Amino acid sequence: MKLAAIRPITLALSRELVLTALLLLGVSVVVFVILYLAPGDPFSVLLEGQTPSHEARAGIREALGVPKPWYAQYLSWLGGLLRGNFGTSMRTGLPVFGELVRVGFHTLYLTLGSMLVTLLIAVPIALRSSVRGATGLNWPLTMLAYLVSALPVFWLGYVAIYISIHQFGVFPLISRVSASAGPTWLYALLPICVLGIGNGTLSEIVRYLREEMSRVMVEDYIRTARAKGASVWRHAFKEGFLIPMTEIIAAKIPFILGGAVIVEQVFNWPGMGRMAWQAAQDRDFPVIMGIAMLAAAWVRVGSLLQRVVYVAVNPRASKEGRRVGRAE
Amino acid sequence: MKHYVQVASEAGESSDRPVWKDADTLDLAYVGYGLLIVTLVLVSYVLGAFKWLPYDPEYIRVDLLNAPPGSAGHLLGTDFLGRDILSRLIVSIQAYFLPGLIAIVISLVLGTGLGTAAAYRGGKVEVLVTYFNNLVDSFPRLVLILLVIAAFKPDIYYIMVVVGVTGVPVCASLVAGKIRFLRQKNFIEAAHVLGLPTHVIVLKHILWHHCTPLLVIQATLGMGEAILIETSLSYLGFGVQEPTPSWGNMVQAGANYFFQGKFWPSTAPALAILSTILGFHLLGDGLNSILEGKRGT
Repeated sequence: MKLAAIRPITLALSRELVLTALLLLGVSVVVFVILYLAPGDPFSVLLEGQTPSHEARAGIREALGVPKPWYAQYLSWLGGLLRGNFGTSMRTGLPVFGELVRVGFHTLYLTLGSMLVTLLIAVPIALRSSVRGATGLNWPLTMLAYLVSALPVFWLGYVAIYISIHQFGVFPLISRVSASAGPTWLYALLPICVLGIGNGTLSEIVRYLREEMSRVMVEDYIRTARAKGASVWRHAFKEGFLIPMTEIIAAKIPFILGGAVIVEQVFNWPGMGRMAWQAAQDRDFPVIMGIAMLAAAWVRVGSLLQRVVYVAVNPRASKEGRRVGRAE
Repeated sequence: MKHYVQVASEAGESSDRPVWKDADTLDLAYVGYGLLIVTLVLVSYVLGAFKWLPYDPEYIRVDLLNAPPGSAGHLLGTDFLGRDILSRLIVSIQAYFLPGLIAIVISLVLGTGLGTAAAYRGGKVEVLVTYFNNLVDSFPRLVLILLVIAAFKPDIYYIMVVVGVTGVPVCASLVAGKIRFLRQKNFIEAAHVLGLPTHVIVLKHILWHHCTPLLVIQATLGMGEAILIETSLSYLGFGVQEPTPSWGNMVQAGANYFFQGKFWPSTAPALAILSTILGFHLLGDGLNSILEGKRGT
């Protein structure tokens, strides 16, 4: 019995896994094509680190006599990626992979923290209005959500910096790592809160959660639960809360990462976004390609996790076809 | 046949009563504010294009730095070089208006095409379109734009092509959903039975008669996105360069003075961004609720 129940879920998950792999392959093709079309010869720079020495590389080039065809370039680049070789930065000369790991963690703190902030604001509002229905507070809250979503996040960052300078006497532009004295949590907290409020996803998250919760609250099984005195929350949790939450979080990861590019710039946060900005300025191809791959990988892993939760909570999902994982 | 024609008019929900008579007051207010903003943007675009401005936006006045609004004939004050903020705000619309329209056209045309193909052909085409949508959605927009900037050059038209392409998935899935819904309706079935060619049904009966509101709404929201991207990029220093103004680089240029307590030169463009993006969002959501019967927030 156990095995029969598990098999369709395993099948569904392996399908998701294959799909994620296919999408990441597509991502690498897109990144490659953009760089391949670029003027200059970015790929000769990129592949430099892969051959053992300068002489060997020159020898290979000489022996071939011609530049490698595009597919060979792609395959050798992809092979390098799979072995963790992202090339070396043209600016610093350091291997990109190590740098990515270092800045990736900083961005991870920032994005996870700000996601938490967004949810801490959005979930109570959504819960309140879906459980209580329309109240007098609905309209102002809606308006506020609209306003916050249209607010330019860099200006919000300035306001936060100004307040922290003049109210707390802390200058939060010194990056978190280099700040040894003073309350370091403030350096981290400020950008996280600014990104959490100003990433432009707040009103959409509130709307989506409210719609889904309101839809579930009038379902028959909730009425039954209510009638027999069982916990409504326990029954509504999976369909009304867990699934919409994971769906909207997975759908909004790209937006939060995009917002991180700006917030990291405002607050001088040593993360992926700032590195991407620097790389775009210097036309540092290996770095920007690595960041694009890593960011896309995060997005795909996020949506893979969402599917895992979805299939685990709803075994029927393994039988139906794949739903497009997009929250509209 | 007559029966089908009657059903068609019923199912097409075409009544003589104008839609705004039944609309919610709040939605009308949203749309009204949105239209006001659109008018302002259009008027300012024309003013900027013909250089009908109160002051030369690049004229430097050293005797009047960071002047507050209303001082010495400068309605919105001056920035850190004594340049008139109002004129600079108006000229900034040049930075995003045309590029934004291009982005909108790209995402609407490609999105409608892919959405229609997915919903009407189904099968392999649908799988491919879904794959394409998921692929485009994998990239954070700004990261993809930075990649293109690094590869080519920080040109606003390149950037807006990227914005257009990244707007395709939303448009495609909305159009596909709408078509799947419409295909079950009697009047489409009737059109097929009557022997109308598929391209006529798709272009006229489905897209023209029933998807125009949806596309107008998407275009409105798309303009909001384009403004957001343009201002963010010129804030980051990749868009329009000084001394040519853009709302983003105006906020950035006023930053140092902001921390010293001179808020206005940075806040004026920020408020312009806020009210404009808000206008396009509210217009889109208000229209969505009135025309498509979907409650926004």
